[in-house]
Formats: sequence, C-alpha cells, structure tokens
Amino acid sequence: MASHLETELGKLRGIIIKIGGLAESQVAEAVKAVLSEPVLESKEVKKTENKIDKLDVKIDDICQSVFALQQPVASDLRFIISAMQISREIERIGDLSMSIIKLTKSIKEKHELISKFNIADIVRGAEDITAKTNECFLNMDETSVEEIFKLNTDVKSKSSDAIDNIIGEMKNNSKTVVSGTNLIIALKHFERIADHSTNIAESVFFMINAKTIKHEKFSDKN
Amino acid sequence: MHKIESNNVNFYYGENHALRDISLSMKENTVTALIGPSGCGKSTYLRLLNRMNDLIDGTKMTGSIVIDGADIYEKNTNVDNLRKNVGMVFQKPNPFPKTIFENVAYGLRVNGITDKNEIEERVVTTIEQVALWDEVKDKLKKSAFELSGGQQQRLCIARALAIKPSILLMDEPTSALDPISTSKIEELIYELKNKYTIVIVTHNMQQAGRVSDTTAFFYMGELIEYDKTKTIFTKPAIKQTEDYITGRFG
Repeated sequence: MASHLETELGKLRGIIIKIGGLAESQVAEAVKAVLSEPVLESKEVKKTENKIDKLDVKIDDICQSVFALQQPVASDLRFIISAMQISREIERIGDLSMSIIKLTKSIKEKHELISKFNIADIVRGAEDITAKTNECFLNMDETSVEEIFKLNTDVKSKSSDAIDNIIGEMKNNSKTVVSGTNLIIALKHFERIADHSTNIAESVFFMINAKTIKHEKFSDKN
Repeated sequence: MHKIESNNVNFYYGENHALRDISLSMKENTVTALIGPSGCGKSTYLRLLNRMNDLIDGTKMTGSIVIDGADIYEKNTNVDNLRKNVGMVFQKPNPFPKTIFENVAYGLRVNGITDKNEIEERVVTTIEQVALWDEVKDKLKKSAFELSGGQQQRLCIARALAIKPSILLMDEPTSALDPISTSKIEELIYELKNKYTIVIVTHNMQQAGRVSDTTAFFYMGELIEYDKTKTIFTKPAIKQTEDYITGRFG
C-alpha cells in the first residue's frame, strides 16, 4: 500500500517539475527577445504564463491540504515548506520573463549595445542558472548548488559592468537613452531571475540537508 | 441517492437527551469521520447505524435512518441482516479465543456458509484485503492472541469484511494502537473506501484529517458542522468547530 501522503508528495513533485519547465521556456523566450531572435507569438507566451499561474495556485492548494490533513514531519515537512517557496520563486521568474518580453519588443537600436557590451553572455548565463536549478530539483542534487551560487555571482558582476557601460554610452550618445534604459531594466530583471533560481537551489539544499543557507555566501555555510 | 441518510434523529438514554435533531447524509464509498469531545454523542450516533443501541435498556430513538433507501428502524427490518450489511470494528481489538483462521471463518459459518473451499477462499481474500496475509500466512492455526495489537485489529477488520458488508463502522479503531499500527490501519481505511462506505469515530483530529473525505463535528448531542474534511480543517464555517480543531476547547 502506497502511503496517501507519499501519493500527494509525488503529485506535488510532478507539478513542480512541470512548472519549472514552463518557467525555463519563458526565460528562453525572454533571452531570444533581448537578443532579437525570433520569439513565439505573444498568445503562446501568455498562455504559458497563465499555466504557470494556475500551477502556482494548485501547489498552494495541495500544500495547504497536506499541512491541514496529513501533518507532515521531518523530510516531508521540509519538502512541503520548500515546495511553497519554490512555487513562489518560479511564479516570479515567469512574471519577470513576461516583463522582459514586453519591454524588449519596444526597444529599437538595441543590437549595437548588445553586441558591444556582451549582453548575450549575461542573459544566457541567467538562462543557464534556471536550467541548472531545474535539474538540481529534479535530481535532488545538492552538489550543483555551489555551482549555481557561483554562476549567479558571475551574472551579477557581468550585469553590473554592462550597466555601467550602457550608462556611459547613454551619456555620450543621447540616441541610446531610451533603448539603453530599457536594456538596463531587462538586465536587472535577468539578475532577479538568476536570484530567484538561486533561491530555489537554496530550498533544494534545505530539503536535503535541513540546513538554511539563505542570505549567506555558499562558502560561509559549508 | 446517499448511502446513509439520517433525518432529525433524536436519541435518549432514559431522561438524557443524547442526540438532538441529527440530519446527516453520507455518500457511497466515502469515509466520514465523526469528531467531538467526549460525551458529544458521536459514538451513540455511530451505534445507531447498525442498531447496536437497541441492546441498551431504557433508550429511545426518534427520526429516521435510511440505508440503501430503506428505513432501518422500521418494524419489519431484519436486524441480523442489517448488521451483516453494516459491519463494526471497536476501539480495542477483540479477536475470538480461536485460531487466526477461525476468527475470520467463524462469522461465515454462523451465517450458514458450509462449503470448505468457499470459507477458505474468503478467509484468505479478506486477510489479504487487510494487508495481513504476509504476516500470518504461516501461522493461520495459531491463536489470534499471539498477534500484536495492530495485527489483531486488522484481523478484526478482516472478520468484519468476510461477511461482505457494504458499510463499515469504526469506533476509535486505533486508540489502543502504537503509531506504526495506527498508520497501517489508516492506510487500510484509505484503500477500503474503494469498496465500502466507512464511518469512523475518532478522538484524534489528525487522524480524521488523514483518512476521511467528510467530517462531522458533534458537540453536546448536536451536529455543529458537517462538510468536506478539507473545508473543516482549513476554513470551518462555525466558530465552535474552529475552536475545537485548533484545541481551544474540548
């Protein structure tokens, strides 16, 4: 006899994997939008966004039921707490991706800035973190958490440099002010996406080790 | 149509008005938990469903309880047949002082089944049904008292199921058991609801949450709230229910 609780946890795990995959595809669309590559129709992207929102609500609903009816403890408890946090992070990743897609559609003359300041490297870095985080959850692989932290630091640092350069460019060439500002916002969004993904990795670490590594450098805690 | 329908049920132990206007309907193949503080009437209500209270002198019941469309308190009700259809498991495991095999076979024989093969088949099937087979298959001829409390309780459930009831009443079936045995019985209840309609009285609210589809909260002989278990445990409509399930009274 499979335990009723195990069935519920299995269901939850399946939904998290699904919502994580959807968010990953939204981030991929956001990357393409910034790099002016062909993107899916807005209708499709919006549809995925709605799916993410619905699954987010479903995860909350299942977690609420499990808390109220099954009284999870130990690893089960950590899984439920983490599931709620992960779902929140993923939902934000979806929202940020949508914002980037909307924002970058209106940016003209962005090609020059993108190639000049190696923006592709930064946004693909954020995309990579999202994919690695999904794998980290899927395989419950705590060994990849450290790498995700490092990648996040790398994205942040590169993004910060790029933003300084874009600001410099805007000062010298007023024509780039509108596109530059939008690009800075998009970069900040990608930084947030990388942060949210890193938070998911933190939750996976907590799930496995019952140890919180929030607000700390990975190396400080290990 | 509901499997069990109670309409304006009142019950008296002499002068004591133990149940007041209870109207409660239960669907087929569901688990209903009856919760409430001691003396609230939940066990009394449970025992009305197979007329066990008839055995207590000086009691009176008004209203109606309809099972499968028939009022079980009508004069022409065959109470033996009713109790075959509505099996019961009690708080403490109460196996007969017989072998494990005989504990299940006895009820079949009493009910006129004499074919040896049929008895054997039904004993094995029901012991398997309660997930006890692997633990007892090599000691069927041993006394049921040699089993642990949890095993004895599963045997009692098998005994109740052997005579093919459609409803199973459980009166605090795990209160005398350790957590592992409790968890096995709970999982069993979850499995059994595919075939049976189950009504369980429990003092353990967490258990009500884990095993039941609907929950009825009784207080001082009244049915205060009856709803889906998830609703009762996440957003009860009545403050008394909320106070009880959150441990603020009772």
